[in-house]
Amino acid sequence: MGTVFDIGNLGLMFWQLITFAILLLLLYKFVYPPIRDQIIKRQRSIEQAIDEAEQTRAEARRLLEEYRQQIAEARGEARQILEEARRQGEAQRERTLREAREEGERIIQRAREEIERERAQALSEIRREVADMVIMASEQVVRKSLEREDHERLIEEALRELDVELKEKEVTR
Amino acid sequence: MRPMLALLQQITQEELRHEILHTWETAKTKWVIPIEVFGVDLSINKIVWFLFIGAAVTFLLLFIGSRILKDRPGAYQVIVEEIYGFGRNHLGGQMGEEGKKWFPYTLTLFVFILVLNLMGLIPGSYPVTSNITFTITLALITFLIVQQQGIARNGVVKYFKSWAPTDVPARPVLYPFMWIVHLIGEFAKPLTLGVRLYANMLAGSLVIYVFLSLILYFGVFTAFISVPAAIIFYAFKLFIAVLQAYIFAILTQVYIELAMFADESH
Repeated sequence: MGTVFDIGNLGLMFWQLITFAILLLLLYKFVYPPIRDQIIKRQRSIEQAIDEAEQTRAEARRLLEEYRQQIAEARGEARQILEEARRQGEAQRERTLREAREEGERIIQRAREEIERERAQALSEIRREVADMVIMASEQVVRKSLEREDHERLIEEALRELDVELKEKEVTR
Repeated sequence: MRPMLALLQQITQEELRHEILHTWETAKTKWVIPIEVFGVDLSINKIVWFLFIGAAVTFLLLFIGSRILKDRPGAYQVIVEEIYGFGRNHLGGQMGEEGKKWFPYTLTLFVFILVLNLMGLIPGSYPVTSNITFTITLALITFLIVQQQGIARNGVVKYFKSWAPTDVPARPVLYPFMWIVHLIGEFAKPLTLGVRLYANMLAGSLVIYVFLSLILYFGVFTAFISVPAAIIFYAFKLFIAVLQAYIFAILTQVYIELAMFADESH
């Protein structure tokens, strides 16, 4: 029993206390501090990296927001420009149309006036011609003392002549 | 010579017993450097040698790990840092942040006991943790630290007063009774701590030896059962080695912190 239940082994206890004390001393002095420092250092660097990453992300978000705003502004501006151009085009078209209409009306007006003038001129000419003819016929009547049928014939003749002449005038015009 | 002979002829029960226990029976008389101081036998024998080897391995394992520290750690550094982190995060601070100052001690205990446990699994070695003197001595150190911490942090009166609750009915009778129960418990702590580790490690080794010795006693065909069984128990003992080292370390830490915060826990 003494072999497996080796209690009160003073030699072992002595050496154990010494060994364990030395082991503790060495570990406390040479092993734990550098490991602790290393872990703290890594922790700090990780924290720093996380901070930096967060900063970068915030910066990126800010830039994105800025770009979005710029794009929105540009889009608005483009729409405005387009609107302006359309309005100007519309106005231009309207003006051109109005001018064309006015021009046409002016031309028609002028033509109408011309026609009126021509007609008045033609009428006055005819009037003069007829007067001449009446004078001529009167002369003939006076000169020959015509009979009754001669008289009628002359008037007939004169009217016919007038018709022919009128027609001729119509053709020459 | 003896195992060879045993294969040829049945051995006596006495011889079998020796085969099973020879690791423990012969350790004191092997590799001896005789030293005697004031009549006390302080000879260095196989037990002490394995104690030294275990301490050296523990130290080197952690020391080398602490000398090759880099910002981008290799596998070995990660293991050492994990061991350290395990001590800091899982051993220390069981009851309060202040208890963390004791984790280097319990971590040392953990690694030291683990190394000794695992070294005991090497054939021909001596499992130091299956020696009750060794485990009880460690437990006694724990006991001393526990009492010292309890007294230092709470003061003598407060600490011993906190051993039993004061708000009990029939206080004059119950309080001393409970106090004495706690006193017994206080001494039971190191005893159970030491015996638990000792018994587990001894039993693990013994089971393996018993299974293998069956071959000597019942003949070579028993090997078909004994060897697989021994291998299974060997694997199981690997697990027990880690578990018992952890239990010893965590209980030490808990006992220390219980004493530190004795006043607050009641």
